[in-house]
Amino acid sequence: MKHFVAFLLMLHLIISNVFGVDATLKIEKDVEQRARVALVDGSTVPNDKFFDILQSDLKVSGHYLADATHHQDDFASNALSPELRTKEYVIKYTFSSENGAKLFVRVLKGSEGTEVFKKNYALPAAEKAPFLAHKAISDINNAMGYPDISWINRYILFSRYTTAAHSEILLADYTLNYQKVIIRGGLNLFPKWADENQRSFYYTSYAGLTPTLYKLDIYSGSRQKIVSSEGMLVCSDVSKSGDRLLLTMAPNGQADIYEYNVGSGSKTRITTFNGIDVNGKYVDDENSMVFVSNRLGYANIFKQSLHSQAVMQVVYHGRNNNACDANGNQIVYSSRESSNTFGKNTFNLYLTSSSGSDTRPLTTTGTNQFPRFSPDGSVVMYIKHSGGGSSLGYINLESHQSLLFPIRGSKVQSIDW
Amino acid sequence: MQKLMISAVAASLLALTGCSQTAPDMAGKNNVSDANQFGDTVSIDENKYGNEAGAGSRFNSSSDGFQSIYFGFGDYGISGGMESRINSNAGVANNAGGSQVKIEGNCDEFGTDEYNYALGLKRAKAVKDAIAAQGVNTDKMVIVSFGESNPVCHEPTDECYERNRRVDLRLAR
Repeated sequence: MKHFVAFLLMLHLIISNVFGVDATLKIEKDVEQRARVALVDGSTVPNDKFFDILQSDLKVSGHYLADATHHQDDFASNALSPELRTKEYVIKYTFSSENGAKLFVRVLKGSEGTEVFKKNYALPAAEKAPFLAHKAISDINNAMGYPDISWINRYILFSRYTTAAHSEILLADYTLNYQKVIIRGGLNLFPKWADENQRSFYYTSYAGLTPTLYKLDIYSGSRQKIVSSEGMLVCSDVSKSGDRLLLTMAPNGQADIYEYNVGSGSKTRITTFNGIDVNGKYVDDENSMVFVSNRLGYANIFKQSLHSQAVMQVVYHGRNNNACDANGNQIVYSSRESSNTFGKNTFNLYLTSSSGSDTRPLTTTGTNQFPRFSPDGSVVMYIKHSGGGSSLGYINLESHQSLLFPIRGSKVQSIDW
Repeated sequence: MQKLMISAVAASLLALTGCSQTAPDMAGKNNVSDANQFGDTVSIDENKYGNEAGAGSRFNSSSDGFQSIYFGFGDYGISGGMESRINSNAGVANNAGGSQVKIEGNCDEFGTDEYNYALGLKRAKAVKDAIAAQGVNTDKMVIVSFGESNPVCHEPTDECYERNRRVDLRLAR
């Protein structure tokens, strides 16, 4: 018996050493690169929810190891407790939501208690307070010289079903703590930002006889009809300059991808396959696109130059890859990895390049769909479905940090940021 | 070592003795001594395999005298069982005077993103082509895909999913 136990122990040690080395080293390396920080709330009425938002911002950046304790202490004092002196930085703040949202922030060096950053923030709309937290943390991050995380300041745009043939389109912050219905009434789908500054977006309205693409200015409320098509109509991607769109249209009952010139209103048919071609996304300096097609008998990811008919298969993995997004030459796609006709299926996300090389999984369990890159390509947003409901997930591609925020209410139809 | 060898021989003898017993002939020539044969057996619902018409053919969510066309999972071909409905719909369309016929493609909840809308579109197009083949003017018909957005049934059952994989027809107003 003793020999058997000794054998098991030796086997465990061998396995741990042979297979555990890389993971351990990787974690240590990541930990060394992150700054240890603590948040100290000096508000008259401390707010746990606001503290959680600040914590999320620090975590999703991938640049900090944030203390989970909601410390509370005097905002103006530079004196730090022995515990806080062990941190590299201490972020002191006061937050109030009376007469608008106000946030005062100071950053002290943990070892010396000296102030290295100070800034005040205010918004007239108290419900937009999450954006104050995001702005403060992204400013602190920049001041410390870490890679930019300003994507946390952006609006999320998503549509969700309410009842049969009815939906609404909402604006939200990335944590979903701020949400506002911006279009309600009827069936309105596939919202897509029209410009980098997030002043207007495209969406498909089903109010008329055929689907119609509109552009809505979120500040003035002005709405402009862009184009209408029998069958289906989706704005899948917008060029960086905003003057070209990739649309899935079906003017002859056939779903194909068209490039639409916003200035002239002209459109060019890119795909001509007699099956399903959808989900066009610009890649390779917007000279090509990747898209989803069933031309091999199942949904998969392909690439085509915008100036020729030559089509290249990008993904050689999986038998049902029915959604993708692109940023520069990076591609993220969802792959169905179980074959239950009904009920739960495993969908995982994979990262690859427009040439199909360097493929790696981003998720390994659950139902993970609707992948979307952040504008800078550093983070992938997605929807995760589980038994308890749906969540909005984020994966930082460099730090491998991930976060999930629960989505309350109805099923998400489409999402953009 | 010697003990081990004796044990092995004894075990082999016991096993051989067991095999030499005559099995009761309960199923003709089949040897029923295999315990696996009496393990748990399945119980299937024949309906889950569908039939030519499909379980959904008992239902109709079209209007103005039209009848809905139902489809298999991930499929956009019209089954033989739906042909009588196609013929009936062609007759209704031809008697519709100057009104346009709206053909709406729908899917179950298992697809996502644009691809599911394209699948609904293929179904609507298949119905349009089938009706056109019966002599209905294509200019009278307009197709629209609703993807998974317009379910008529919300229960998590196979029959319910099948009712949602459909094409509805109605007069455009």
